Amino acid sequence: MNSLITFFYTFFVEKLPYITIAIFLLGAALRATRWMSAPKDPEKSQISVTAAVKYIILDVVFFRKTFKSDKVIWLIIFLFHIAAGGILFGHMRGFHIWSAEMFAPLGEWVAEFMVETLPVYMGWLFIATQILLLIRRVLLEDRRLASLPNDYLALILLLITSILGQGMRIFPPEAIPTHTYSVVFIPGLIVLHLEKVPSFHWFFLHILFTQLFIMYIPFSKLVHIFSGVITSALYGSRRSEYGL
Amino acid sequence: MASKLDTEKVREALRRFTRRQMMELDTCAHCALCTENCPAYADSKIPNYAPGVRSSKTLRLINKQFGLRARLLGPNPIKADEVADLADSAFNCTLCGRCMETCPFGFQTHELWTGVRCLVYELDGTLPRVKMLDQMLRETQNPYGLQAEMRLDWADYTGLEDVHVKDRADVAYFVGCTTAFKGANHEVAYSIASILNQLGEDWTLLAEDEWCCGSPLLLAGNEEGAREFAEHNVEALEARGVKTVITGCAGCFRVFKWEYPKLLGRRPSFKVIHAVEYLRDKLVAGELKPDLLRANVAYHDPCELSRLGGVIEAPREALRRLAQGLVELPEHGIDVRCCGGGGLLQAANNDLRLSIVKRRLDQAVEVGAEILTSACPACKLAFVDGIRASRCEIEVLDVMELAARQLGLL
Repeated sequence: MNSLITFFYTFFVEKLPYITIAIFLLGAALRATRWMSAPKDPEKSQISVTAAVKYIILDVVFFRKTFKSDKVIWLIIFLFHIAAGGILFGHMRGFHIWSAEMFAPLGEWVAEFMVETLPVYMGWLFIATQILLLIRRVLLEDRRLASLPNDYLALILLLITSILGQGMRIFPPEAIPTHTYSVVFIPGLIVLHLEKVPSFHWFFLHILFTQLFIMYIPFSKLVHIFSGVITSALYGSRRSEYGL
Repeated sequence: MASKLDTEKVREALRRFTRRQMMELDTCAHCALCTENCPAYADSKIPNYAPGVRSSKTLRLINKQFGLRARLLGPNPIKADEVADLADSAFNCTLCGRCMETCPFGFQTHELWTGVRCLVYELDGTLPRVKMLDQMLRETQNPYGLQAEMRLDWADYTGLEDVHVKDRADVAYFVGCTTAFKGANHEVAYSIASILNQLGEDWTLLAEDEWCCGSPLLLAGNEEGAREFAEHNVEALEARGVKTVITGCAGCFRVFKWEYPKLLGRRPSFKVIHAVEYLRDKLVAGELKPDLLRANVAYHDPCELSRLGGVIEAPREALRRLAQGLVELPEHGIDVRCCGGGGLLQAANNDLRLSIVKRRLDQAVEVGAEILTSACPACKLAFVDGIRASRCEIEVLDVMELAARQLGLL
């Protein structure tokens, strides 16, 4: 049994990342082909870069339109995205994009807050807002929306991934190594440096679901992470064209 | 068992969605944030009328033919029932574009839903009354099935003496079918013509040579028909050497200004302005000197003029010079709540149209408006019908009628 688990765990770290990247790129290529094979939009005046940037900031960063429509939903969505961004930023430390020392000039407690306290709160916030969004979707189903299966799958996949990630933080670590513990996904390219070795089951399942989530992005509504920026830019440009 | 549609025909029709529209359909997270602000949903609570549901259903059809599963295992047939269901969703919509203003991703929904209507049209799923309208338009070049000779009847009914129908002129007044053929709007045409006469403009009507602008054809999903009408009108106007086309109809304005270049693949040689823009310019320049009305006047932005046409300030600037008490309705400007008069909703579901207009009239009463103005004959008709149905005590006028009245012309 142990050898089977070891086999899977090794597979999640050493083999699956290649499959994840391949499926993500294939999915992105299929999605791009699907869009590019559609007829071109009728000729319009030139894209207004200023208006495009303005509405990317207003609508993608601050969710202006959601704020106008529903303040409560705006708060949930805004916090959800803040938490998502925060968690993504936090993960960057493990890949040596930033370090706790960068915050040290602001005080020891700030650095500790950034790497110890804040991530836990961000994790809870992320899970809570996802649950609220899931409940909202279930409650509105058949009354205001007709979700596609992938609307749910994307949310559930993300929820599982974040619960596993939070589990890693709140359950006692497996070990505290003297130097950082390196998890090599792709040699020389994707290496995760851990100061604490988390509970292995949570960690490896988190790695599995994170990769499933990444693979799923181009095939699902999660594609809005990229395309939503483009559609918002085009909307901004249209407003400029119409003099609005 | 529901009949299955010819796969090739379906695939061809589904290929009509442009790159941006495909991206929008794939990006739609079905968050339903557009729903509460959608007048058709808000006043019916029927899920099928919600924009997000329409997006889901359209995407389902596309994916049945072009999705990953269809690529691997072959396309899934589409049933006539599915098209009928989509038609029910697509036509129970005022095409007001409010969902564009609430969509977190800024989908250009007016064009997207028009595309869905075109899809339904190409798959012969259009609602029977819309089909009749399309038929009438093709036969008589107007949506009311009336003879072209009747296009100038409004001038007789209103007693306009100086009617201009010339071979060449700088300015053309494009009356539009709902103004020319609907009695409630005849005085709008009279007002615009009288103001042009008072200012001594070199203007003309197209008279019998005027065809519908093509807006109802586009709204019915008949893009080819709209293109034919656009070609005719542009040819007729360019042949007269017209430099500026003035229209008092928000629908005609939007189609002339924003759709004709797309339909024809070129910009017409003339400029297109709405009558309220012309009025504003003349009032600001001091060429018109109206008496100031002492009454609370509210302005309802026609969706096709404001959010979909880009004209929001001009009518307000004009009204400030016509009336002392301009009051704003709660949802206005780019966020205007539709009156229910657009998108051929009258043909598809008049009860829904009346319930939408009632909500807007209630808003006007709540802000204490004595006169409710607009700048669109379809809005005016909707308000007139709404007042009749709800026995509301508010006067409805087009901005141009109010101007003519304050100038002593009406």
